[in-house]
Amino acid sequence: MFGLYLHIPFCEKKCSYCDFYSIESTEHIDRFVDTLLAELRLRSAAGQQPFTSVFFGGGTPSLLRPHDMHRITSLLRELFVFTDDCEWTMECNPGTVTLERLQGYRAAGINRLSFGVQSFQASELAFLDRIHNADEAVTAMLLARQAGFDNVNMDLMFAVPGQTLESLSDNLQRMVALQPDHISAYSLIYEHGTPLYADLLKGRVKPLPEEIDAEMYHLVISTLRAHGYEQYEVSNFSKAGRRCRHNLTYWHGEPYLAFGPSAHGFIGTTRYWNYRSLTAWTQHVLKGALPEANHEVLTESDLLTEHVFLHLRADGLRPLETQDRFGIDVRVALQPDLGYWIDAGFLTDDGDLLSLTAEGYRVCDEISSKAAARLAG
Amino acid sequence: MQNYRNFCIIAHIDHGKSTLADRLLERTGRVSAREMTMNQILDDNPLEQERGITIKLHAIQMDYAANDGNSYKLNLIDTPGHVDFSYEVSRSLSACEGALLVVDATQGVEAQTISNLFMAIEQGLEIIPVINKIDLPSAVTTIESVKQQVMDLIGCKEDDMILASAKAGIGIDEILEAVVARVPPPKGDPKAPLRALIYDSVFDAYRGVIVYVRVIDGTMREKDKILFMATGQTYELDEVGVLYMQRQRTGELAAGSVGYFTAAIRKLQDSKVGDTVTLANNPTTNPIEGFREVKPMVFSGIYPADSDDFEDLREALGKLSLNDSAITFEPESSSALGFGFRCGFLGLLHMEIVQERLEREFNQTIVTTVPNVRYQVVTTRDEILWVDNPAQLPNPTLINEILEPYIRAQIIAPSEYVGTIMKLCMDRRGTMMGQSYLSADRVDMTFELPLAEVVFDFYDKLKSNTRGYASLDYEYADYKPGQLVRMDILLNGEQVDALSSIVHRQKAHEWGKRLCSKLRELIPRQMFEVAIQAAIGSKIIARESISAMRKNVLAKCYGGDISRKRKLIEKQKEGKKRMKQVGKVEIPQEAFHAVLSLD
Repeated sequence: MFGLYLHIPFCEKKCSYCDFYSIESTEHIDRFVDTLLAELRLRSAAGQQPFTSVFFGGGTPSLLRPHDMHRITSLLRELFVFTDDCEWTMECNPGTVTLERLQGYRAAGINRLSFGVQSFQASELAFLDRIHNADEAVTAMLLARQAGFDNVNMDLMFAVPGQTLESLSDNLQRMVALQPDHISAYSLIYEHGTPLYADLLKGRVKPLPEEIDAEMYHLVISTLRAHGYEQYEVSNFSKAGRRCRHNLTYWHGEPYLAFGPSAHGFIGTTRYWNYRSLTAWTQHVLKGALPEANHEVLTESDLLTEHVFLHLRADGLRPLETQDRFGIDVRVALQPDLGYWIDAGFLTDDGDLLSLTAEGYRVCDEISSKAAARLAG
Repeated sequence: MQNYRNFCIIAHIDHGKSTLADRLLERTGRVSAREMTMNQILDDNPLEQERGITIKLHAIQMDYAANDGNSYKLNLIDTPGHVDFSYEVSRSLSACEGALLVVDATQGVEAQTISNLFMAIEQGLEIIPVINKIDLPSAVTTIESVKQQVMDLIGCKEDDMILASAKAGIGIDEILEAVVARVPPPKGDPKAPLRALIYDSVFDAYRGVIVYVRVIDGTMREKDKILFMATGQTYELDEVGVLYMQRQRTGELAAGSVGYFTAAIRKLQDSKVGDTVTLANNPTTNPIEGFREVKPMVFSGIYPADSDDFEDLREALGKLSLNDSAITFEPESSSALGFGFRCGFLGLLHMEIVQERLEREFNQTIVTTVPNVRYQVVTTRDEILWVDNPAQLPNPTLINEILEPYIRAQIIAPSEYVGTIMKLCMDRRGTMMGQSYLSADRVDMTFELPLAEVVFDFYDKLKSNTRGYASLDYEYADYKPGQLVRMDILLNGEQVDALSSIVHRQKAHEWGKRLCSKLRELIPRQMFEVAIQAAIGSKIIARESISAMRKNVLAKCYGGDISRKRKLIEKQKEGKKRMKQVGKVEIPQEAFHAVLSLD
């Protein structure tokens, strides 16, 4: 697998919880697209093998006009090679789509949409600073299908202050009724540096208790499973054959290129990241310099840690793969804990694959750090 | 010999001993003013400086031109200021003919000072009382009472006391003159067979052990063959000299002198403090009195935090014992902590010093268990066993009697705290042996207490209950039988050997309850519910439980999150590695000495 990520750093309004880089201004979009095209050219030599996925993230990529999208995808196809079944995803704000626009994106080559729905409750949407309402989310889904998209994700947020198990249940029911092919359901994170985090520090926001968060997570998993969604990562659920290939690229330690301000790429054992500033990024690209703010070269131990925790939090760890790649027999190295985890129902071992159960996903970080300690010790 | 004066300073912590010593060195030109800025030269161990106490003994020779027109050699022999080292104190007092008794004009006499003072008086030392810190504003109201205390204590006249401020340089000349005039010159026969007292020794990586001695009789010269009378070891003297700021080789030391020698001695244990050095071919028949083997009184397990570091820890303890002859260590193993060592210490401070030195000087990350004393167990077959690890106490059915060590504690405090102190000591199974008033508002109390009860936070409690005014000194008394039982801690049904303790039967319930609830605070929530139980034999006497963690996972992990997330996992991983695991339960290192922080 080989992924390609493009970061579109614009939003009509920033959400209080979001720590992705974006600015609340759309006037620089034209110049941004020009610069993005220039960055693609700067890195064109890096795309030696066919890409299996492309992901437009943000920010709000749906602020790009179909025309902009067309310019970008055309140049991509000119510079790089893509597999026939390449997944082309863009994130969309349900409040900014029209049939015409969606058709335009589709014509530009996009074949997967991801809607930031988050909730169907007005109060929760307001808390999260979302600009759309519940009806618009429903409409967006209808328009997507009408435009011919057969692979659509919806994001859902839970453990939002003020949320109850009842309102979450309502959100889940309304979301599954729309039959998206994929659902990403996130427990709200209080990320450092966000307005939400500042509110937390000042005591203006009180996180839901861990018990409630856990109950909500359980409700999410059980509801989605009951509706035919398979959990393949802590927060990701899909219908059969609809796992997000791009995200699996991250979790399987496969390479990905990245473009746009703040975007992170990973090639070989090097992870690089672009300037987290539209200005700095633009200046570098226009000078013909790579807009990399920094990079790190992962040691064998870093790679092992990532291999373990990413596979565990996604679709499981294959002992044979770990043996081949790192020369470690995880079944031996993780004893005696592996036995306890299996006995307690946190993990299953089907012979080829060690994978977390719903109970296991709930304490995934605990298992990951213990596993990392066992493997490094 | 008539121009030699050997003396030491007896003072309580913070009463100004080190400052006074510095001032004397400065006045006799031994140290320049510039060196003085480095302050408090005698305390050259960073730990000593930090704690404001002197652990190791040093000596410095000063040349002093007295008002009588003669020149004198003054040997200032420093003494440690903590009860753990009272034997060392007694040996260094033996090397002197006089002592400066330094008392803080605002604080008065403290327990430690009194016990050292009595030791000095018993050994016939001339006592020169010095009231220090007279320049402090609050001294105005306290000085008369402090003077009275000192006069009552040693039966001196008011004129015998020197009023001084080491900090401000007041009274320094008077002190030096008094040392010359009042401390008798050493007696001894330079032609008699050699008798030299070892009052300290330190290990030097290049020259082996450097032995500090006071020559009582005879003369030692380089190339002489010497005999350590207690250990029976013989060596040839390499280098002999006196101690200025550095060692200064003189080739010989005669009766009355204080100095050092080296003799290619590899082990500190060969030159025991208090031993007599004599000549191998002309030995004295009369070794210096007072030698005894120093025995550890407090024991604790020391384990490497990472069990792979066992050999490193062994090496570190080996090196540390080169310049700490009092520590003992033997390998042991624990199901909870893996392989480590059972270490013996003179007392709690000594234990802390060793632990800190291991971490600072030898870069060891260690886990320590709760300290305990050494029990004497009489079995039903009348065998006597010494148990210094609670986990090794035999099955109760095999025990006839358990004896535990007692101490005789002297506590001096303002009289308003008598009730508080009584209660504390009674709570700790103490018996009051006597009480006397040093002045109208200052009382001197004596108790007999089980050492095991003092090992846990007794000193801290005493200090906090008396707002810091009480001072404590103790000496070891003897072993007495007690109603003692072993209390075990079980986590999810599995016994954690390193958490076992030996407690008094009547206190077991209370102790068990407090320990369980302390462990409940210290052990983090885990993926499983954790049951904490305290048990005596098969009987559960207390229990607590820690409910399982409900959720521990961050929802989001995409391209830009991975490095950050990895670092977080690495950090958590380090935390995990520091934990010790018993069965499924991870136990943080602090839990192993949890009882120390019970309140």
